Amino acid sequence: MKTTVRMVGQVAVVDLSGKITIGEGDVVLRDKVQELLEQGQKKILLNLEKVSYMDSAGIGELVACYKRAREKGGTVKLLRPSGKVEDLLQLTKLWEVFEIFTDEPQANASF
Amino acid sequence: MAATTVRMTLESDVRLVDIAHAASETMAALAGFDEDDALNVGIAVREAVINAMKHGNRADRSKKVGIVLQATGSAVKARVKDQGVGFDPSATADPTAGDNVLNTSGRGLMLMRAFVDHVDFKFREGRGMEVTLVKKRAARKPKTILASARS
Repeated sequence: MKTTVRMVGQVAVVDLSGKITIGEGDVVLRDKVQELLEQGQKKILLNLEKVSYMDSAGIGELVACYKRAREKGGTVKLLRPSGKVEDLLQLTKLWEVFEIFTDEPQANASF
Repeated sequence: MAATTVRMTLESDVRLVDIAHAASETMAALAGFDEDDALNVGIAVREAVINAMKHGNRADRSKKVGIVLQATGSAVKARVKDQGVGFDPSATADPTAGDNVLNTSGRGLMLMRAFVDHVDFKFREGRGMEVTLVKKRAARKPKTILASARS
C-alpha cells in the first residue's frame, strides 16, 4: 500500500492506495498515522477511495488508529470508502463509529 | 466442468498469505464467480489462513498450513489445516456487539462467515484444526422458463 499526505489547512489528508492487509498495509497505515500524531497533527482524514480491500488485520489497524488519535486528543475520519471497503465497514459496524464523508471539502470543514 | 484442484503448504509466515489469497481468487474465477465474489472467496480464505498461522500454529514457522482449493462448475471449496492445538470457534465473541466494535482484533471468523456460504471447523487431536469453506454459485434460471414467461 502507498500513502501520500496533503495538508489542507489544518487537516492532514492521507491518500491511501492499494490494500490494507496483514504484514503490509496495516504496518504502513500504523506508521503513517503514528508519524502524523507525533508531529502534532490532530485532524487526520484517511482517503480510502483507492483502497481495494482490507482484511481483519487492516480493519483492526484502522480501529487502532482511531483510538490512538483519540488518546492524543485528535480525530481520524474517513473519506470515500467504496466497494469492498464500504461493505467491510458496514459489516463490522464501524460505519457507525467513524465519521465518513464522500465530499472532501465537507470532510475538512467538519473538523 | 471437471474439478480443478490446487494444493499448497505454507510456513506460518503471514507474508505468504497473499499466495493463498491469489490462488483462491483464481480458483473462484475458474468456478465461474464474478470479480466481486472471487474477492469474497479470497478474503475468506485469507482469514482462514491468517487464523491458522497466528492462532493455530502460534506463528511457529516450523509448523505448516496445508491448503486445498477445489473449483467445480458450481462451487469453490477450500480446506485450510494447521498443526495447532485447536480452539472453540463458538467461544469467539461477536465483534459487532457493544464495545467489541472497537476491538483491534477478533473479526476473522466473522469475515469468513460473511463471505462464503458454509464454514465448518473440525479439530482432531494431534492433527490440528481443519477449516472448510464453501461458496456456491447461484443457480441459473433455465432458459425455457424465461422463454415461456415472455410469451
